[in-house]
Amino acid sequence: MRRVSPGWSHLLGDGLVITALGLACSGALKSVAADDLLLFAAASLTDAVEELGHSFEEQTGQTLRISVGSTANLARQIRAGAPADVFFSADERQMERLRAAGAVRPEAIVPVLSNALVVIVPTSAAQTLTSPEELLGFPRIALADPETVPAGVYAREYLETRGLWAALASRVVPTLDVRGALAAVEAEHAPAAIVYSTDAALSRRVHVAYAVPPEETPSIVYVLAPLRGGHSSSRALVEHLVSRRALDVYERFGFVRLRH
Amino acid sequence: MGFTLQMAALATLAILPFGIAAGLALARYTGPGKGALETFLSLPLVLPPTAVGVVLLELLSRRRFPGSLFASLDIEVVFTWKAVLLATAVMSFPLLVRSARTAFEEVDPRLVGMARSLGASPTRAFVRVTLPLAWRGLLGGSILAFSRALGEFGATVMVAGNIPGQTRTLALAVFHESQSGRDERAAVLAGVTVALAFAALWVTEWIARRRSVGAA
Repeated sequence: MRRVSPGWSHLLGDGLVITALGLACSGALKSVAADDLLLFAAASLTDAVEELGHSFEEQTGQTLRISVGSTANLARQIRAGAPADVFFSADERQMERLRAAGAVRPEAIVPVLSNALVVIVPTSAAQTLTSPEELLGFPRIALADPETVPAGVYAREYLETRGLWAALASRVVPTLDVRGALAAVEAEHAPAAIVYSTDAALSRRVHVAYAVPPEETPSIVYVLAPLRGGHSSSRALVEHLVSRRALDVYERFGFVRLRH
Repeated sequence: MGFTLQMAALATLAILPFGIAAGLALARYTGPGKGALETFLSLPLVLPPTAVGVVLLELLSRRRFPGSLFASLDIEVVFTWKAVLLATAVMSFPLLVRSARTAFEEVDPRLVGMARSLGASPTRAFVRVTLPLAWRGLLGGSILAFSRALGEFGATVMVAGNIPGQTRTLALAVFHESQSGRDERAAVLAGVTVALAFAALWVTEWIARRRSVGAA
């Protein structure tokens, strides 16, 4: 087989083109990233922050990128150095871990919302539970990971106070976040789940079988804070997210306002 | 770890007859549609495991066939060990098929022809001629499939969930520990998977070396 060796000038030419392309691409990406504001928000806030994110962008002209997921996962990413500017957490625990790690200033942490817990079942198998003990009738219950994800932790705390956790623990299907538990019931892969009432309200494929009474619900507090060393517009975003208009939006989605 | 090994072994055993049959078919069949069949069987090798997971979830949906069949028989698959078995079997299958096919292609068809001309039935020829010549390749393919099954994550986590004590394989455990912020524990478990994978692949290579020496 005839070997063809490219001339050195060829290689140099190719190398220059590739380097130029690479620089151009990285330059383009850098300019997009440096300007953007990055908000990390709990999965249950997805719809609310999307709406508020749009209004923020319209009002300020500042580009905002939002990453939603389980609060635990987002906090872990922040501790590992993720370039988030503002963090909207579904519990105080994860925010406290960030404070301890020096990622947020304690005086900058703002409690904003609370929520309620509900037991959901697929609409095709709609039923109503008269007491939480009836949860024992389900072979499996989907929860956001009860070890670390706020929605799952709150659900576990509730079940513990009712003395049901020991019996139900082995039946739990832990999902990555609360929306995963919702999806499991929507797709009828799990017969039941415990999610926030705000999540249940968004889906037509699930039916609320039982609403946990407020007096039995563990203390659910969503907290918001700008991250240290973040974007100069972080404060503006935080203010936007706790503004009167924002509180109306949360209320519309079913969240409980902690501020007025 | 025991659960992971069990599931990987079961999955490999489950796909063995189908893998051998498919490998044989691809090695021997030369008719139309062969290309499509080859491609289709190789899909899980190249598709993102999460895509395979989505397909499996759809197939297992209780609302339509075949998921409805399981539902009517009161058999739970999703979020159980059966889903782990299914996901790992599907993802490992193409590896076994490819190895089996190569193994059968290396069997000199003239030898099979001789056996047949001497009066052996196709089955007897397969058992007495083809298999003994191809077994090393099949064994190597099985171990490769087993190793793949050991490390399977994407499809498994979607179909079986990450349930401690029930569907949490090593790969899923690494993910969970990492997600929970327990990085040291995740690293230890990852180390175990490295050791297992190393052992499995080393044996596969050793078998492949023995094959090339043995084929005189």
